[in-house]
Amino acid sequence: MRKTFRGGVHPDDAKALSRDAALREYLPKGECVYPLAQHIGKPAKAVVKKNDPVLVGQVIAEADGFVSANIIASCSGKVKAVEKRRTISGAMQECIVVENDGLFTETEGFGERRDISAVTKEEILGAVKAAGIIGLGGAGFPTHVKLAPKDPGAIRYVIANGAECEPYLTGNDQLMRAEADAITEGMEIVLKLFPEAKGVIAIEKNKPEAIAAMEAACAGKENVSVLALPTKYPQGGERSLIDVVAGKDFPITALPADAGCIVDNVGTIYAIQRAVCYGEPLFKHVLTLTGEAVATPANFIVRDGTLVTELIEECGGIKEGLELKKALAGGPMMGFALTSLEVPVVKTTNGITLLPNDAVAEADEMMTACLHCGRCTTVCPQGLLPQIMAEAVDMGDFERYEKKLYGLDCIACGCCTYVCPAKRPLTQIFKHTKAEIMAKKRAAAGGKK
Amino acid sequence: MNPALNISAGPHVRDRRSTASVMLCVILALMPATIAGVWFHGLKALYVVLASVITCVLSEFVFDVIVKKPNTILDGSAVVTGLLLALSLSASVPLYIPIIGGIFAIVVVKCCFGGLGKNFVNPALAARCFLLISFGRVMTVYEVDGVSAATPVADLLAGKSVDIIKLLIGNNCGVIGSSILGLALGGLFLWIFDIIHGQICFSVIIAFLLFVGLFGGQGFDPGFLAANLFGGGVIMGAFFMATDYTTSPVSRLGQTIYGVLIGVLGGVFRLFGTSADSFSYSVIIANLFTPLIDMYILPKPFAYRKSAIAAMNGVEKKPLLKRIPKPVVVLTVITLLAGLALSGVYSMTKDSIEAQEKAAATAAYKAVCPDAETFEETEDVKAAIEALAGGVYGSSFGRCYINEAYEAKDASGNTAGYVVNVTTADGNDENISLAVGVKADGTVNCISFTELNETPGMGMRCGEPEFMSHFENKAVKEFKLLKGGGASADDEIDAISGATVTSSAVVNAVNAGLDFIHSVMMEG
Repeated sequence: MRKTFRGGVHPDDAKALSRDAALREYLPKGECVYPLAQHIGKPAKAVVKKNDPVLVGQVIAEADGFVSANIIASCSGKVKAVEKRRTISGAMQECIVVENDGLFTETEGFGERRDISAVTKEEILGAVKAAGIIGLGGAGFPTHVKLAPKDPGAIRYVIANGAECEPYLTGNDQLMRAEADAITEGMEIVLKLFPEAKGVIAIEKNKPEAIAAMEAACAGKENVSVLALPTKYPQGGERSLIDVVAGKDFPITALPADAGCIVDNVGTIYAIQRAVCYGEPLFKHVLTLTGEAVATPANFIVRDGTLVTELIEECGGIKEGLELKKALAGGPMMGFALTSLEVPVVKTTNGITLLPNDAVAEADEMMTACLHCGRCTTVCPQGLLPQIMAEAVDMGDFERYEKKLYGLDCIACGCCTYVCPAKRPLTQIFKHTKAEIMAKKRAAAGGKK
Repeated sequence: MNPALNISAGPHVRDRRSTASVMLCVILALMPATIAGVWFHGLKALYVVLASVITCVLSEFVFDVIVKKPNTILDGSAVVTGLLLALSLSASVPLYIPIIGGIFAIVVVKCCFGGLGKNFVNPALAARCFLLISFGRVMTVYEVDGVSAATPVADLLAGKSVDIIKLLIGNNCGVIGSSILGLALGGLFLWIFDIIHGQICFSVIIAFLLFVGLFGGQGFDPGFLAANLFGGGVIMGAFFMATDYTTSPVSRLGQTIYGVLIGVLGGVFRLFGTSADSFSYSVIIANLFTPLIDMYILPKPFAYRKSAIAAMNGVEKKPLLKRIPKPVVVLTVITLLAGLALSGVYSMTKDSIEAQEKAAATAAYKAVCPDAETFEETEDVKAAIEALAGGVYGSSFGRCYINEAYEAKDASGNTAGYVVNVTTADGNDENISLAVGVKADGTVNCISFTELNETPGMGMRCGEPEFMSHFENKAVKEFKLLKGGGASADDEIDAISGATVTSSAVVNAVNAGLDFIHSVMMEG
């Protein structure tokens, strides 16, 4: 087993702001908004219409097709509208808007602990699908699809991703400290699907309390172990974890399952445990509201559909004397900038980071020509050559970019942009180029048909 | 509450390191060598440094203004170029040299090719080579403490031994940035702070040492290797010139190949060339190979490497030692054995080589002092030569060096004459060495060349009897060179037409030898 993956960077993790703020549940006060597209795949299909009454835990939109996921109401009340609203990605998308009655009346059928000693694989997958669980690490891939690979017998490792390498975010840290036993049980449930697999709970070493809690919970369990990893970004990337745990690198065209691994965020594993043991669907998850600009950073268990503005108010608003320059969904490395704060939290929103300064604008001021220093090459966790890739893009040589430089294998982790002394926007160029090449490919494929 | 939010694509944090901070680090790393240079070479060195740096910055500024480009002088790269150029110049160059060099480096090599990150060779080195070609005479005058002498590498090329301690500190004849300790300190600082790539600087040094050790004819003799490594800008080249970002390859493998190329070329030029400035050329040549290396040496991403594909297919990994191809192991062993054998042979034959060299010299001395039976080196003469400390002899003979001087004794032990071996660095093509023999009464007996490699048909004609005979049996203390011909008096020598430089060098060398004999040997 390798000690760590190759490449990577050490940004200031800024976790001290919120790492010791205990999880607390926040109940939304105003209306809740549920975009129909919160996951990778086809948007869900609304099954409620205006003026329908809804209860907490009720399915309000159903998975449409195999790669899709249910959407669950997190408050009780009445459907106000099914209409286009601005969502966290900045786009206008179809949303179900529920007028919150503030009572949070729950549907029947969940909350009771069930006996799971005889649970079957089908029951587990069914519960996960019904609960609308998707990857909570950020990508939002429907979990019931991920848990059903072609050959479950070929899976050697199930990795619970508790690395939380993204700077600022501390929600999973707190979740592991508070719910270590539940996460361990969730891992055991997943392992029932994969008879040949071992469970590994991977945590970066900057979370000693979480490591201790998980180790205590795993003590005496044969099949589940805790792996403490060096603190380095992107340690929590699924490829980095597989590199460390299984010693395998695989191209962008392959899936983790091809390398014999299933990687799930610890939050997802926890949601699986809630779904299987309590029948509880996924309508709340951990979220860190942090950043230098917020008065009191906090770790919430937040309900889907809650407006970001409500959460900021709950944290005491913007710190006195500071101006909010940038708001991010997620952390500063992989997160994206918000256009508006009047947007609802979705399942994959694991953090809101509020910053009083704009490092990107400052970097743009300092941008010079590429020095060819090669730092981007040193830090790329995929072993790509960002500097040469950017040159190929400059020259419009997409052929070389794709075939010789394997540019489509970029995972957009941002390491190259982070280290670039010339402050070149490398990751941004690659994201754009990848989208362009993929669009061309789709157009070509469409043309042939 | 909905403030104006800035939108941007991630990542939204950046490392503190910027182009300017990288350049600042390089400038800091060059400071020890610069300070040592100014300390040992005096204020002249400081003026050269200032002239070079100011010219570089100004040229970039003016160029940006003329071509209406955004001003780029604040990134600090022009200061680095200026500093590097100054450190690779002699402190005694006239100030127009760093100024012309600075303009050439910035305008021609850097700005005309697109500015920062676009230059095709290292600007400072290109400027140095340009100056060497254009102003060779003033560029190669090296002084320390006001005395000019041969550089350590010129001495090495001439087969002399070199004082390594002086080289380390920098208190020797050479460029301003010749303090090896200062340069190495700065280089290691840059390496530790991850600003330069270890693959480059260490592969340069290792390849150079291996090459010099294997083909230098003295094996891996630590003194010989150290003298070669510490002289002639190898350390400066390895740490500061070869590692220039723009002109070195991107991938680790490419960087290693590039480094080895520089080391080997440097070794070839050092051992088989004649120029003491050869290391600059090896870096420049390797710079030109960089685009080619970057084109073809592209490491595949981790997932596409053979080992990764094998791991995905469930193939066991071979241990590291077994993965090295057999021929590589065999060749490495043979090379090392050959090197060791060579070292052994060298140390075994060192004494007999010296004896043979001595015999050859004695033969030459006998030719100029036929009456002599033995040659003795008196204490006074020995002390006088040591006092010169390898420096130029006298002030009116050009760059002449006294190598050896002996009193000749006949069979009965009486003084039969004097012989002195002189080298002059003023030859048209290379150093010229000759022995001058004088009879006991002071009459010049004759001269004999121990080293003469001038242009055939021109300078080489100095070695023909017709020219040499002019020095035979002349009761003269100083010869005069007549450039227009028509020599009649004993002390007048006609210059060989078309080889005035060589003729003048020879006459000066003979005069230096005669002066030494008359002032030191016959007085005593």
